Amino acid sequence: MKSPLRVWGVVGVLVLLHFGLHLSLGLGESAPDLLVVALLIAAREGNVGRGAGLGFLLGLLDDAFSVLAFGANTFAMTVVGMGGSRTRDLFVGDSLFFLASYLFLGKWMRDLLHWVAAGEGLRESFGDTMLIQAPISAVYAGLVGLVLIAISGLGWETVR
Amino acid sequence: MPIYKKDFNESEKARSSLIGFVFFLISVIALYVPDPSQDHVASLLRGTVLRPFVLVQEGLVRRSIHARDTEVLQGRLDSLEAVITNRNTLSEENGRLRRLLELSEKNPDQYVAASVIRSGSPGSASMFGVDVGTRDGVERDSPVIMGRGLLGVVRESQATNATAMDWTHPQFWASAMTADGSIYGFVQATPGRFREADRLLLDGIPFHQELERGVVVVTSGLGGVYPRGIQIGVVIEESGAQEGWVRSYWLRPFVSPGEATQVLVLVPRGEQPADTASLSGGGAAVQGRVQATGAISLGASDAESRTPR
Repeated sequence: MKSPLRVWGVVGVLVLLHFGLHLSLGLGESAPDLLVVALLIAAREGNVGRGAGLGFLLGLLDDAFSVLAFGANTFAMTVVGMGGSRTRDLFVGDSLFFLASYLFLGKWMRDLLHWVAAGEGLRESFGDTMLIQAPISAVYAGLVGLVLIAISGLGWETVR
Repeated sequence: MPIYKKDFNESEKARSSLIGFVFFLISVIALYVPDPSQDHVASLLRGTVLRPFVLVQEGLVRRSIHARDTEVLQGRLDSLEAVITNRNTLSEENGRLRRLLELSEKNPDQYVAASVIRSGSPGSASMFGVDVGTRDGVERDSPVIMGRGLLGVVRESQATNATAMDWTHPQFWASAMTADGSIYGFVQATPGRFREADRLLLDGIPFHQELERGVVVVTSGLGGVYPRGIQIGVVIEESGAQEGWVRSYWLRPFVSPGEATQVLVLVPRGEQPADTASLSGGGAAVQGRVQATGAISLGASDAESRTPR
């Protein structure tokens, strides 16, 4: 049975896991973006304000090591958090397809927003970043997110 | 009917949207905050919330570096140990060779230096190989000496190696005499209950002649196998076993077969091994096969044939 405590517990674990894998173990791109997975899960549990606030905080943490494009992650995650919360009003469903699409599009949108906010001097070409790297990364995050949701016992009811 | 239900009322929704918009606005502003301020915020986050993760990474990196360092240091340590080990072996070999050189000066027959090879196989006790053979002038019955005294005798010689037996072999024997040449007898091996208990027995001493403890026994040169004057051992005590009108004495040998690594093999006079380097007096450099030559006579005839026991 899904409960708010369990949902936020899973979100906290995902955040810790994300920084543990990316930062402590230094896996970099080899590890999935669990931060956006955590944000997308949490965003469906709260309103726009909470989603934006959580996205802002998580993005700010992600930006702590972003020297040249500080704020890009914060901006992207804030928008994704807001958008994830808004899906409560726009989309209804708890199917596997919906959740997979939700995670995939959320991650891809996050990368797109980061690409936009990073500025011309720092970003690579749109084709390479958004059409090749971002979809792969989004699929990776989506698959891992689905597995984690299933393992954590949240089930598909996360999407109410 | 969709399962969707409205969670918030309009005012809450408006407030939530406003909060969201504020965060959005701040995130946009964060993009344009001056670099020093950005750095300050980033460093603050790195030093507080993210500090545990950074510490873990530092620890892991340090361990990784230490692990690599350990491998490198272990490699260097192994190399040093190998060098030290080889140096010890060289020092030991050098010392033995020096002693052999001194001995060869005292026994100026022709000798070739050899390394001892032991097979360690069952049944090979009391036997050993040397890395010199007929090409070096080594023949059957060539005496083998080490350090201060007699070690054994060559039993079989091939082109480049030879097989010898040490004094613990049951078939070993040698004509002997006291160092002053006054009393003659013969020395033979007497096996003990275990190999380390093997002893030499000086036998055939006339009954009317007694030897004191500590008397040095050397080869007599009789029999034609061993040149006169090679030290064998010292008298420890008289043996209880007496046969007829002769006495026998236990000897403590000068050399222990177990210590043999570098030896000298006596080659007949006139043999000039082709691949040997000449050896001069003390302090001379030794290159390749060592050969000791000299002109000092041992003072006794060794032309007699070996007498069967």
